[in-house]
Amino acid sequence: MTSHDIVIVGGGHNGLVCAAYLARAGKRVLVLERRERVGGAAMSEEVFPGFRFSVFSYVVSLLRPEIIRELELPRHGLHILPLESTLTPLPGGDYLAQWNDHDQNRRELARHSPRDAEAYDEFGVELHQMARLIKPILGIAPPDPASLRPRELLDLARLARMFRSIDKKKFNTLWRLLTLSSADYLDSWFESEALKATKAASGIIGTMLGPRSPGTAYVLLHHYMGELDGVFRAWGFAKGGNGSVSAAIASAARALGAEIRTSAPVERIWVESGRAKGVVLEGGEEIRAESVVSGADPRRTFLGLVGEKNLPGDFAESIKRFKFRGSSAKVNLALGELPSFTCMPGRGPHLRGAVSISPSVAYLEQAYDDAKYGQISRRPYMDIVIPSMLDPAMAPPGKHVMSIFVQYAPYRVNGGWTDARREALGDAVIDTLAEYAPNIKSAVLHRQVVTPADIERVVGLTEGNIFQGELSLQQMFFLRPAPAWSRYRTPIEGLWQCGSGTHPGGGVMGASGRNAALALLGERL
Amino acid sequence: MIHAIVIGSGVDALVAAHVLARTGKQVLVVEERPPAAQDFGWVPPQVTGALGLQLEVQAPDPWATALLPDGGKLELWRDMRRTIESIRRFSERDAQRWPGFCRRMAALARLFEPVYTEAPSDPLNLRLALRVRRLGREGMVDLMRVLPMSVAELLDDWFELDALKGALGAMGILNVQQGPRSGGTAFRFLHHHVGSPEGVFRPPRSNLSAILRQRPGVLFRVDNVTKIRVEAGRVDGVVLDGGEEIEAALVVSGVDPRRTLLELADPAWLDPELARAIGNIRRHGVAARISFNTSIEGNVVLAPSLDYLEHAYDEVKYGRTSREPYLEAYPSPDGVEVHFQYVPHGAKSDLAAAARRLLPGLENAQADSILGPADLEREQGWPQGQPYHAELALDQALWMRPLPELAQYKTPITGLWLCGPAMHPGGGVAGAAGYNCARAILKETN
Repeated sequence: MTSHDIVIVGGGHNGLVCAAYLARAGKRVLVLERRERVGGAAMSEEVFPGFRFSVFSYVVSLLRPEIIRELELPRHGLHILPLESTLTPLPGGDYLAQWNDHDQNRRELARHSPRDAEAYDEFGVELHQMARLIKPILGIAPPDPASLRPRELLDLARLARMFRSIDKKKFNTLWRLLTLSSADYLDSWFESEALKATKAASGIIGTMLGPRSPGTAYVLLHHYMGELDGVFRAWGFAKGGNGSVSAAIASAARALGAEIRTSAPVERIWVESGRAKGVVLEGGEEIRAESVVSGADPRRTFLGLVGEKNLPGDFAESIKRFKFRGSSAKVNLALGELPSFTCMPGRGPHLRGAVSISPSVAYLEQAYDDAKYGQISRRPYMDIVIPSMLDPAMAPPGKHVMSIFVQYAPYRVNGGWTDARREALGDAVIDTLAEYAPNIKSAVLHRQVVTPADIERVVGLTEGNIFQGELSLQQMFFLRPAPAWSRYRTPIEGLWQCGSGTHPGGGVMGASGRNAALALLGERL
Repeated sequence: MIHAIVIGSGVDALVAAHVLARTGKQVLVVEERPPAAQDFGWVPPQVTGALGLQLEVQAPDPWATALLPDGGKLELWRDMRRTIESIRRFSERDAQRWPGFCRRMAALARLFEPVYTEAPSDPLNLRLALRVRRLGREGMVDLMRVLPMSVAELLDDWFELDALKGALGAMGILNVQQGPRSGGTAFRFLHHHVGSPEGVFRPPRSNLSAILRQRPGVLFRVDNVTKIRVEAGRVDGVVLDGGEEIEAALVVSGVDPRRTLLELADPAWLDPELARAIGNIRRHGVAARISFNTSIEGNVVLAPSLDYLEHAYDEVKYGRTSREPYLEAYPSPDGVEVHFQYVPHGAKSDLAAAARRLLPGLENAQADSILGPADLEREQGWPQGQPYHAELALDQALWMRPLPELAQYKTPITGLWLCGPAMHPGGGVAGAAGYNCARAILKETN
């Protein structure tokens, strides 16, 4: 039997961030990863010979800048290439393009609606202000509002003070963003359907909600958080794919003294009389530790690795109620040639950015209607990038890789996920894309379709939810993942959680991992 | 001399008029149409107490008779044990859970009772925070979880019986362009529970308007207001249809905020940003009212499952009338009134035939009137046909109702106040907005 100060279950990006911070504080840390490589959903793989993909998560923008700085990730190989534009092709051959260049962007918006071009800057300012308002909250361990413990009362008072110091108008805008649907929020700004839909799309990502459902405006804001510290709409692509984000964090953690073991599946977290003693690996190896930190999602951690019998009843109930409802899929294509969009034929700068299949809000809502009753969207929302345009090493010379994020593909699809349904999803994606880029069918050399069931099976994310639990208001802040247990602690003494199932939630953000490490070290958050 | 002019004949306008009149003010109500024969919603005891009223409250028992797809029915009674027996015929598990659910919901609704009978307070106000903390952990967690939730999620947490979930879930979507799976509908479900006894999830109906219309102390005039006169930022009276002008330094409008401030008053008095926000107040009308000349027992509900309601909503999203609508039929002074949801603004389908086909007992009844959202807008003055004047949703509730700048019943025009259902606490609570508005006026002028 070996012994460590801290064992971390799961080598996803949050587990690795947590390990790095703990190692930096002088702890002897061991990370145990079930798969043969670290990274969880942030990983790159040569799926077809010569073609490398960010198989699951595929863009970077939310990764906290303090983590990049404090762990010196660029020194460990992190290199982010900016995505330069978003193109929304429209039926009938027109398009809406959003460019990083302000004037170019404005001219393009004005072509669709002079009023929208006017409103756009103001809209940007409002979201920017809101993101700034929320930014300090991302680094907080949410206090339990029912608590009587002096420290939590103090933190509650601090939080109340923070909110009370917010300008009233801004507070009300924040409330609107928390409670509105993205469609209603955008309706109050814009009139152009393509613009509203492309913006609304970031409000539905990872959720099982349509753009007209209240709560989606917050998800939209969540995706704006990344724009804060860089350029406006600073979505980027990691050189080498998202696996290199994980590799950089792992390298930083190792350099700080953390040990990382892959192909080391944890079978259970070893609990004795209400205390975590360590973990037991599949195969029976026992590893003792002072503390155990789980980067797995709440259902997997508590109902799987800990076991219901070791948990207080009401806590177990809360975890059971925590909603996952994965709704997104990925289609990865190896291409013999670049797609040529009818609205913007041939090669061009637009292929270095994102392409969004979101012609109207009604289109997105209809995609959701299918999913609501257990169907794959017949005409799905898609967010497409061609990483090989930015990083040629991703594909053989002259060839390309295309990464397509697809929604909705409900985890609970009628009849369950089968090979036939997986291929049907792939066909729906290619057929829809071919309406805008007719050469896509002949350009495809290989196709990989990743369903929510695949995400669950391969990465271990329950129900394939990319955020380790829906980002809805009732599952956020002091309710994430369960009331009274939002400060990275758990009812099991010595067991902590650091996955994105905790505050502030998903995306390749790393905030949960960092917050958990600091909380465990006893630092005030 | 007239001290105050109240515009509108809604229940809130009548309450505001009488509360003001009791302080010795000469109050004139200019009513554009006769008051409702029946008012929907809980009447807070503060309102009846302040005016010394004895109401006739209709509280049918069973409070809901839910129709089942196989022709049977599920009856929900005021008596908890009887309801449990009803539910038990279909689900033992749900029957056991019913009392716990009722207790938890009543605890939350009780929190709103005092909040609804005063002007909305700042959300970060300490008194409110203490009130919330007094709920204890279970109550606080319920509150924070439930408010933003969809009513479908809330009910799925507790129950398995579709008919029960449908009948309850209907209160989450009543008069709103959302389906039971939309966020915030659990709050609306609670809103419609406030003031009701534990285990009763239908607001009562009363004759509050009819009593107030009969009552002396207030002057009435049947006419249309065409203009609210403003001089140097102060209101100084109204202009009636024939051109007659009536002076008063206090004008209280029960008409919706948009028409009050952008049409009756000159919008030039408003900050352009506020004028734009007023124009953006959400107010979709989604339901029709049909009157039949027959009679019916109790409150008959057609909402057999949450999926049924969700499908009904899907159609209105794209501008179509639900083929399988949510229906609720109840006795009215003239026969039977049917609430038919969802109907888009300007729909022209044969609603009465659909209601006759779907509701037993109406097969041979004659429809005396069929009012879709556009008709309700014209005949009742409900903007776009929305009876609450402003959609009741979390972003337009409490201190945000209908907009943070207007939530204290006051407008930027001195002497012009708003008292209709677009104001806190909103439609579904009869007279509370009028009562809160009148008290705010008295507080400021005394």
